[in-house]
This record gives sequence, structure tokens and C-alpha cells, in this order.
Amino acid sequence: MTFWNILIILARGAGYTILVTLASISAGLAVGLLLAVLGTMQHKAVKLFLAAYTYIFRGLPVLVLLFIVFFGLPGIGIRISPFVSMVLSLGLISGAYLAEVFRGAIAAVDRDEILAAEAMGMNRAEIFLYITMPQMFRMSVPGMINEFTSILKYTPFAYTVGIPEIMKEAMSLAAITLRGLEIYLAVGIIYFIIYKLFVLLFMALEKRFRIPGLAPE
Amino acid sequence: MALIEVKNLVKTFDGKAVLQGINLELSEGQSKVLMGASGCGKSTLLRCLNLLLSPSSGQIIFKGEDITRPKVDIRKIREDIGFVFQDFALYRHLTVEENATLGLRKLKKMKMKEAVEKATYELERVGMFEHRNKYPAQLSGGQKQRAAIVRALAMDPAVLFLDEPTSSLDPQMSREVVNVINKLFLDNITMLCVTHDAFLAKYISDTIVFIDEGVVVAEDIAERLFYESADPRIKQFFMSVIDHR
Amino acid sequence: MDAFIKDLIAYWPQILAGLKNTALLMVIMSVTGLSGGIGIFYLTLSKHKIVRTWTEAYISFFIGTPLLVHLFLLYYGLPELGISLSSLTVAVVGFTLNVSAYNARYLTTAYNGLDKTELEAARAQGFTQTETFRLIILPQVLRLSVPSLTNQVIQNLKDTSVAFLIQFPDFFAQMQEIASVNFQFFKVYMTAGLVYLALVSIIVLAARRLEKHVALPGFQT
Repeated sequence: MTFWNILIILARGAGYTILVTLASISAGLAVGLLLAVLGTMQHKAVKLFLAAYTYIFRGLPVLVLLFIVFFGLPGIGIRISPFVSMVLSLGLISGAYLAEVFRGAIAAVDRDEILAAEAMGMNRAEIFLYITMPQMFRMSVPGMINEFTSILKYTPFAYTVGIPEIMKEAMSLAAITLRGLEIYLAVGIIYFIIYKLFVLLFMALEKRFRIPGLAPE
Repeated sequence: MALIEVKNLVKTFDGKAVLQGINLELSEGQSKVLMGASGCGKSTLLRCLNLLLSPSSGQIIFKGEDITRPKVDIRKIREDIGFVFQDFALYRHLTVEENATLGLRKLKKMKMKEAVEKATYELERVGMFEHRNKYPAQLSGGQKQRAAIVRALAMDPAVLFLDEPTSSLDPQMSREVVNVINKLFLDNITMLCVTHDAFLAKYISDTIVFIDEGVVVAEDIAERLFYESADPRIKQFFMSVIDHR
Repeated sequence: MDAFIKDLIAYWPQILAGLKNTALLMVIMSVTGLSGGIGIFYLTLSKHKIVRTWTEAYISFFIGTPLLVHLFLLYYGLPELGISLSSLTVAVVGFTLNVSAYNARYLTTAYNGLDKTELEAARAQGFTQTETFRLIILPQVLRLSVPSLTNQVIQNLKDTSVAFLIQFPDFFAQMQEIASVNFQFFKVYMTAGLVYLALVSIIVLAARRLEKHVALPGFQT
């Protein structure tokens, strides 16, 4: 079996890797956005919740959370599939970091523009949807790219809950052929390629939606 | 014998000759100001003299030594030339006093006590002693430039180079710095200054050297060069930079 | 609940050993990761293009690939070359390579924000490249990077849990052992989670104090 063969076999798992990554990114975005919106509210209870959430999900290692969700919850009667466990864990944690990025971007939106929107007659929801959010996303691009690539780099953990992505394929292969060096080198190369492709994709998206004067710092 | 002799200095960047044969002399105790239009090469000249830039051809004799030859001890030369920059370039993480003593301790290997003594002398000379424990971020523009002058003088250089020392300052601070440099001028500090500030030039120079397109066109005392020059280039330049009110 | 607590007490020696290993690994990799990061950062400033290119490639690769891949590559790959190392050593080496790349990147970001004329002034004073690096660049870059560097230390603590996947007997590994024996998966893993939160809090407090300590006027981050 040549190195090339190894690459092909491992690439089979790439589909799952990408799937898990995209699903987790969506989950993270949803969570992060929700938290960012909550962050604009003044209620004490909400602020307390946000503080607790941030503390917990920025302090827990990904692996530990994954194990709690997949291996621990069944102990109290909640069974979650491997895929959902992975996406949930990554989503909750990256959501906490994304919320931070979004919060900074929201704060950078010009107060005067919001006043103008109010004066026009928009309500809070409309202001957030039409004025704040579009600007917030554009200013959050570097932070988002950072977080999304982070998610990609956590997907190997999926093998511990049985998802057949690249790492799992690699371990099976290594057990059979005992050529760990080449195999994990190949794994590294494949991840690196996926990483580069993701970055290129995001940058292309950023360019497509870029507005003069609102480029990320 | 002059302290600095420049003979036919040429400097080209990407095929364009910025300095096209500069001849200049500076003796101990003299102060000369280099003036000319933007792009005439005056800042380039200054940076060639302490070898921050390498001359393309020509000779620079510093203290009798030809410093354009290959095996020259650059560090020793630079320790002997004090350089003051347009944007101050103070070490942001050090106090005013520390900025001044760093070179003394690390380059001249002085003990802390000696270094502080030397720094104190210069700090008092320019009136910055009370600010010696402040950080650059806490200083005004004029104070920053004075701190930069202290840093340069503390090393006891044979000559002080100043590159557009007042160009980043507003009129009031500019005056503050002009006063300080004038004081040095009256103390007979050997100086070479590049500027387009004619007010500064008048008060700190023995002569002014006018440079145009990479060569020295004229050298004379301020009054004569500003007001009585026959050369149209010089006349036009000073028409635009001098406040004729 | 009492049975669970009884178990914790019974297994306490192992848990303690695991905590010690976790702490040990975290401290070592933070130190080597920072020194390595400074060294690599120094290389990114080299005047030789070939050094800069290879250093950039190194940083790019280690930032662009998962940590687990680095660990597995060393743990399963090295024996093939006849090198067999303990899991602690593999963990240290793998984490160091990974962390130093990130630290070098943070330092470079800070470096790009420096006032370059200060470096010109240092050259004009007579300082060599190395002296300029040591006296002018490094002190400023480290101060500017304190938030990123301390965040990295927190990340290091969390990443130690990954080491159990290469058979390193850290705290998380020990908790797994307990769970596999008493089947109290939920309680055991929740406890593990709480312990990590507590450890992270300690580091965060220390980090805040450090940030205050190194703050200089002119270095508002």
C-alpha cells in the first residue's frame, strides 16, 4: 500500500469531518448569536445567566464536555446520538467564544446610526436585524474564521464517540498496517488541506459581502 | 582637520540616484543645517553618514577614518553619533531616564550609578529632570523630543544628528524644542540638522547647506541664503517656507 | 450520593496522582511553549529568507492541524523510527510544538503593532540585532501579548485532558478509570468538569493580577 493509497482511504472519512464541522459551525453561530442578543438586554437575571454560561463553557475542556454529554447523560436517562453529542458540545463551547466576538462588534456599531433608525420609526428588533447585525457580521470576520478553524481542529475527538471521520479511519488503518508514521502524517496533510480550503472559502465569502469602510480590522 | 568630510557621496535606490555627489565638511563645534525641497536627499544623506544606509559610492571620513571601507566598526561610529528622529522613537517601555541610561549601561558598559549621573546632567540641561520617571506615553510632543535629545546626548557623541526634529510638533511645542536646541548650539555642540523649518534653522546654525536634486547647491549663513540669494531655486524654496510677515 | 463520595475518597490517591500529572504537564508545556514561542518568533525576524520561510511553514502547519494529530503522530509514529518515549515525553514534545507555534503567532501580531522607528533608533545608537531584540522588541512584545499568552495557558490546562488519549495518566484518565469501575458516569464526569472549572478559575485570577502588574502607561491593551 503506497502513501497515495493511504491518502485515498483516509479521505473517505473527510466527508464526516466536514459534515461535523459545518454542523458545529451552524450550532455555534446560532448559540453565539443568541447569547450576543441576550447580551444587549439589561435584565439582571439575563446578565447573571450570561456570566455563568461564559464561565462554564469557556472553562470546560471540549473532551470533558463531550464525555459528559455522550457518556454521562445516559446515566440520568438522556441518550444523545454520537453526532448530536459532538455537534452540541462544540456548538455550546464555540458559541461562548463567538458571543464574545459578536459582543465586541455590536459595541462598535455607531450609536448615531441606531438613533437615526429609531427616529425613522424602527423598533428594537428591526434595528437589530437591519442595522446592527449586518455590520456586526462584517466586523466579526477574523474572530469567526479563528473560531471556525478551531472547530475543525476539534473534530478528531469525534472518534471517541464512534463517528467514522478521518481519525477513526486512521486508527483502524494503523491497527492493521502498523504504519503509524505515514498514516498520521497523511492525516495531518488532509486536515491541513481542509483547513486551507475553509480559510479560502471564508475569505471569498467575506470579499463577496464586503462593504467599503466596513472591512474587518 | 574636519570632524566629518563627505566626498562625492552617491546613493542610488532602484536605479534612481537620490544623492548625486555630495561634498560636505563639518568641523568640531560647528553646526550646519541641511535644507531643500522634499526628496532632495537630505534625510538620506544623514542616514548614510551613520551607515544606517550604505552609500553607493563616495567617501565619508569620520574623525580621520574612512568609514565607507568594508571592515569598519559600525557600532563604535554609531555610539559616537547621537541621532534624534522626527517621530521621537523613544523606547516606549522605558522611562525617560531609562531611555537615556540604556545605551550607557549596555553599550558603554557603565555602572547604573554613573549612568544615572550622566543622564541627570543632560536631563537638567534640557529641562526634563522633573519628568525623568515618566513614560513616553505620558509626555507631550515637545517633552518627547527633549527626552529623545537627552537620550542622544547622554552617550557623549562627537556630533548630534537631528532629522526633522520639529516637523511632528505643533507651533508651540516646536518653539520649546527650538529653544532647547538653540541652547545646545550656544554650548558649541557639533550638530548636523535636517529640516524644512526655517525658524529652527536660523537659530541653530552656523551655516545652512542648500541641497537640490542630490547635490549641494549653496552654503551660507541663514540671512544671506534666505533673503539675498541669486539662485532661483533657492529663492523659490525660501519664499515658500519662510513666514514673511 | 454517599456511595459516590465514598468512591471518591477511596480513589483519592489516584485522583491526586492524576491531578499532579495534569499540573505537571500544564506547567511544563506552558514554560516550554513560551520559550519555544519566543525562539520561533525570533526566527521569524531573521534576515535570511530561507529561515523565515521555513519558520512560517512550521507555524502554519502547527496552527492549521489538530493537536490530536500532533500527539498521535509522535506517539504512534516515532516507535516506527525506533524511538520509544514515555507518554509524558510525547505529550510534552507534542504540546510544545503546538503551543510554541501559537505563541509565536501572538508575538508576531504584537510585533506588527510596534513603532518601527524605535528599532531604527536602537540601530542608530549602536545596538546589534540581537541586543535590539532582547532590550527593545521582546519586553514590549511580551507585555502587549499578555492577554493572548495567558489565554494560551488556560487553553493548555484544558488541553491536558487530551493527553489521556495517548495513555497519559492525567486527572481525566483517572476519573475515567473510576467511572469504568463504578459506572457512575454522570457523577464522575460532572465532578471532573467542576474540577477543571475550579482550576481554570485559579489561573484566570493569576492572569488578571499579572496583567495589572505588567501594565505600563502607553501599553493599554
